[in-house]
Amino acid sequence: MKGLTVSQFYDTLKEKLRLRLVAGEKGLKRKILISEINRPGLALSGYIDYFANRRGQVLGKVEISYLRSLPPAERKKRIGAFLRQKIPFCIVARNYLPPEELISAADRIGIPIFRSALITTRLLNLCTIFLEEIFSPHTSIIANLVEVYGVGVLIQGKSGVGKSECTLSLVERGHRLVSDDYIYVRLIDGSYLVGEGSELTRFHMEIRGLGIIDVRQLFGVGCVRQRKRLDLAVTLELWEREKEYERLGLDEEYIKILGVAVPHILLPVGPGRDLALLIEVAALNHRIKRMGYHAAQELDRNVRELIRKREK
Amino acid sequence: MPEIVKDIKIENKLGIHARPAARFVQLSSRFSSDIILKRGEEEVNGKSIMGVLMLAAPQGSTVKVIARGVDAETAMEEIEALIKSKFGED
Repeated sequence: MKGLTVSQFYDTLKEKLRLRLVAGEKGLKRKILISEINRPGLALSGYIDYFANRRGQVLGKVEISYLRSLPPAERKKRIGAFLRQKIPFCIVARNYLPPEELISAADRIGIPIFRSALITTRLLNLCTIFLEEIFSPHTSIIANLVEVYGVGVLIQGKSGVGKSECTLSLVERGHRLVSDDYIYVRLIDGSYLVGEGSELTRFHMEIRGLGIIDVRQLFGVGCVRQRKRLDLAVTLELWEREKEYERLGLDEEYIKILGVAVPHILLPVGPGRDLALLIEVAALNHRIKRMGYHAAQELDRNVRELIRKREK
Repeated sequence: MPEIVKDIKIENKLGIHARPAARFVQLSSRFSSDIILKRGEEEVNGKSIMGVLMLAAPQGSTVKVIARGVDAETAMEEIEALIKSKFGED
């Protein structure tokens, strides 16, 4: 999303932030372009240089008390200077009554002013969390996402290789579907990835020959999950006779998504291979590695030790 | 069914640890012949990682390679070359 309008912000967070629009309605189509929030104490005191005018503004106890302490003419001047900076919106915390001058100037210039019942810190936190989510780097991938034993497994592969059947098997065994054939992936904190499906098709799957099914209705709410961190990627591929597949698992392979390296396994699909079972085992093996136990390395260490002893 | 048997000396410094074992089974799996490895009393399937690892054959030891099948001759040639190449190690 390339920025969002104040109106979208208001619609989404109205309840959570206990917001009420009190002025500047004609500015609701203003755009919010960055995730930071500002407290404009210094700007209100008259120092307008370097004022972070692209940020949403929050007025707390300090700002409101300060404005009230000013003579009316001065108050009007300061508020005018503040609003003329073309800020996207302004929220007054703790349900403080906004000064009359703020209301009239906001209506005139067209800057939405809200009142929130929340205390200032809480308000700042919630706004920042929400906006950071909106502005975080994101992409979409054609793949399935399933939570298997708590591990977020991305299942990729060409059309017809059996992604959906394998996903269905996993769900039937009690694992959780996040999304089929489409994953919206976001980078969180610049360090990890979270995926989810689209709101419209969420928890629906298309199975060749059966058509569209609703996994939540069929298997229950315990078998779905709205979003999940991407921990492991598995690519299903028709078994190529000449190709050599991983036999040891000593080395970790990765794929990069939004700059984050995700451990990757290439899983050949052949007759008699129970893919769901293999993915369950891959997920468990991933977990145990994260807990510090690496089976291939451990066994190799033991073999080398025995070899050394035999040399003597 | 042709059968070829050959004693081959392991020359790489670290012996047959996991990586050489993987290279060995990857190669032997390409042939339709049965590949059997013997070291002392132990006899293992040369197409199985676990089998080859079990031998824990150190540098300087000798393993008996048995290739049995239509492509036994090529199999033996390539297996011998792999072992002689020290599995690409020191």
